[in-house]
Amino acid sequence: MKISFTLNKEKVTIDVDPMKRLLDVLREDFNLLGAKESCGEGECGACTVLLNGKPVTSCILNAIHAEGKEVETVEGISKTKLGKLIMDCFDETNAVQCGFCFPGFFVSSYYYVKTDGEKDLMKIKRALSGNICRCTGYEKIFDSVMLACERSN
Amino acid sequence: MKFIKPKDINNLYEIIDNIDRQYLLAGGTDINVQIKNGIIRNPNIIYINHLKELSGIEEENDSILIGSTTSFKDIIDSRIIKRHIPLIHSSLQNFASPLLQTSATIGGNIANGSPTADVIPILLALDAKLEICSKISCREVFLKDFFIGYKKNVMSNNELITKIIVAKNAEQKYQTFYKKVGSRNSLAIAKVAIAGLKKVENEKIMNIKLAVGSLNEYPRRLFKVEEYIMGKTLIEIDFNKVNEYLQQEITPISDLRSDKEYRYHVCVNLIRTFLNE
Repeated sequence: MKISFTLNKEKVTIDVDPMKRLLDVLREDFNLLGAKESCGEGECGACTVLLNGKPVTSCILNAIHAEGKEVETVEGISKTKLGKLIMDCFDETNAVQCGFCFPGFFVSSYYYVKTDGEKDLMKIKRALSGNICRCTGYEKIFDSVMLACERSN
Repeated sequence: MKFIKPKDINNLYEIIDNIDRQYLLAGGTDINVQIKNGIIRNPNIIYINHLKELSGIEEENDSILIGSTTSFKDIIDSRIIKRHIPLIHSSLQNFASPLLQTSATIGGNIANGSPTADVIPILLALDAKLEICSKISCREVFLKDFFIGYKKNVMSNNELITKIIVAKNAEQKYQTFYKKVGSRNSLAIAKVAIAGLKKVENEKIMNIKLAVGSLNEYPRRLFKVEEYIMGKTLIEIDFNKVNEYLQQEITPISDLRSDKEYRYHVCVNLIRTFLNE
């Protein structure tokens, strides 16, 4: 089935099984390897991307869910001004350890800073509650989002 | 395995009227996990998430109508819901995770019929109804009458849930209560969940509605407990009696998340907490 959508601001069309997981479409058909598979059940957030501007776990979505919509991945977001700012904050606070969960945390953080941006620890924790870091480096991740909120204002 | 994307809602009714074994795909957050784990094999999938008629929240006379494929994020963010039924707004904050709230749909949570489904006890306490439609007709069913067993409901194969209907004044003049007990705040599958409404006048509990999840083969109202409590003041309530009625209405099990004794005691304690509030 032919499915068209916008991927990182570019119009794309692919011929694909509509039930293929969105995560696999991004990784295999577009070679965008930022979003990762970890749990594969929507629980860990390593595969987070934005669908029509809102964060979703792409491992439990299908190609059909992207049809006619806008998909943004860590690759696209990190090139934006706000994306770069947040990336710098993660860098400066040494928030990234093994890095596997980072693309997911980055996308959720970007969504929070963009749509809310209040420097409020509880709100940040809730916004990132769908992402799990197995290195358990949460405090530094929260620090970096706090810093990003401060700088983006 | 077949994949069908209906052209419009009438086309959907035609299709489900003609295919025997099928799965409706909306948000996909449950079905994709079941496919991955081999619980569902070679399914006939009918995609419904693009059908505008099934999505959105509107006011109609004395009711709030929630389209079955409305996402939890849209429900939490809805001004209509916040204004008229704040219990739904507040109690769904910890539903799954912010990421799943974007995809998961209210109709999916109900139709999937898990004993631990978060939204069902809340809607039960609010006396919600479902609009169920087929090619030929639509009917309204009270949510309390919808389930008939573990993951079993009253719908035929050619029907689907189109709307969730809650009265605008469902929680007016009521104090509300919701507690979900899980191992963590986010992404928890409830060990026990309870939603309640009570109306108190001159210390007398004039009306009470209690609904629980994770304690039976499907979430349900505690009508016997409600009946015993109604019309009494707090000091008139004998909690041994509450326990007795509760034992007739819940059948907690021990599983990987919790054991039945714990579930039973937490349920009793939560009822007590709500009454004391």
